[in-house]
Amino acid sequence: MAVTIRRMEEFDEVANFDCGDEPLNNYLKRHAWTNQQKISIGVTYIAVDESAPSTVLGYFTLATSSVPRERFPKKFVRGLPPYDLPLILLARLAVDRRFSGRGLGHALISEALKITVRVADEVGCRCIVTDAYPDKTGWYARYGFIPVEEAAASGPQKMFLDVRTIRRALSFESSPAEKE
Amino acid sequence: MPPAVKAKSKQSARAHTKSAALPKRTHKTKFQADLAPSEDHMVRALKAELQMSSNSDFLSDALTLLRWAVSERKRGHRIVSESATGERKVLVFPRLERVAPEVTLPHVDIRWTEKELGSLAELVSGQSAEPTEALIRAMRS
Repeated sequence: MAVTIRRMEEFDEVANFDCGDEPLNNYLKRHAWTNQQKISIGVTYIAVDESAPSTVLGYFTLATSSVPRERFPKKFVRGLPPYDLPLILLARLAVDRRFSGRGLGHALISEALKITVRVADEVGCRCIVTDAYPDKTGWYARYGFIPVEEAAASGPQKMFLDVRTIRRALSFESSPAEKE
Repeated sequence: MPPAVKAKSKQSARAHTKSAALPKRTHKTKFQADLAPSEDHMVRALKAELQMSSNSDFLSDALTLLRWAVSERKRGHRIVSESATGERKVLVFPRLERVAPEVTLPHVDIRWTEKELGSLAELVSGQSAEPTEALIRAMRS
């Protein structure tokens, strides 16, 4: 399988996409293109195979966001830069279950993090955050995402990854284990 | 200006004029590639189809086409083929996507609770964590 990750196009085939989670399927089928092209609140990137370059095998959606400085609790403001906090939201990430176990999730998160660094280089952003399903927090933690405190007992868990950490990862020529 | 220096300057100027009058040296670079048998077969088939006899002409045309594709993608243009019936296919070529314009992402609001904002502030103002092995692999892939 030769996978390419690119921005979603209008006529990409999404009808048969099935990641096993109805809200994530529904988002891709009904909202992703509209949100990207018409109301511009998120850009969706899709994974496709060379042999069927319009069929979506997996996707993620990114948007920018910010937290106004005055919204932070006063006792925490002192350690923060004197500006609003710009960040990237990894709004969705899903892989068609027929293609799970082939490294597509890794390829998608890799691309999302590379885009994060590019955006940080171009316009500045401090971190990437995502709302992870409780059973997926371990997967995100492998990439260094840290849970943001106070999640609902059964709802999604906000997770945080510092852009400085991603940049440090870029500076490693080989992984720490390989260096030893 | 001292005469010696003046003479040197004249010499240098003459040398410059002389070199400017010479025809521009055309330096050709040899290009050698190791092709897999399937790629070699593909090159031969394409050369036959395009009625090309030399590898240089083949490479020159391929280069022209690739340069055009790169320039189009750099401008953010998509490369599309359209059939006689109007069916369109967009060319997606991973290496070309690398030259596409930088991403622009829209802005959204996120709901944060007070406690989450406190935790976020602590994370942002603290030391950044060491990258995990999976993250390092992700950034290298």
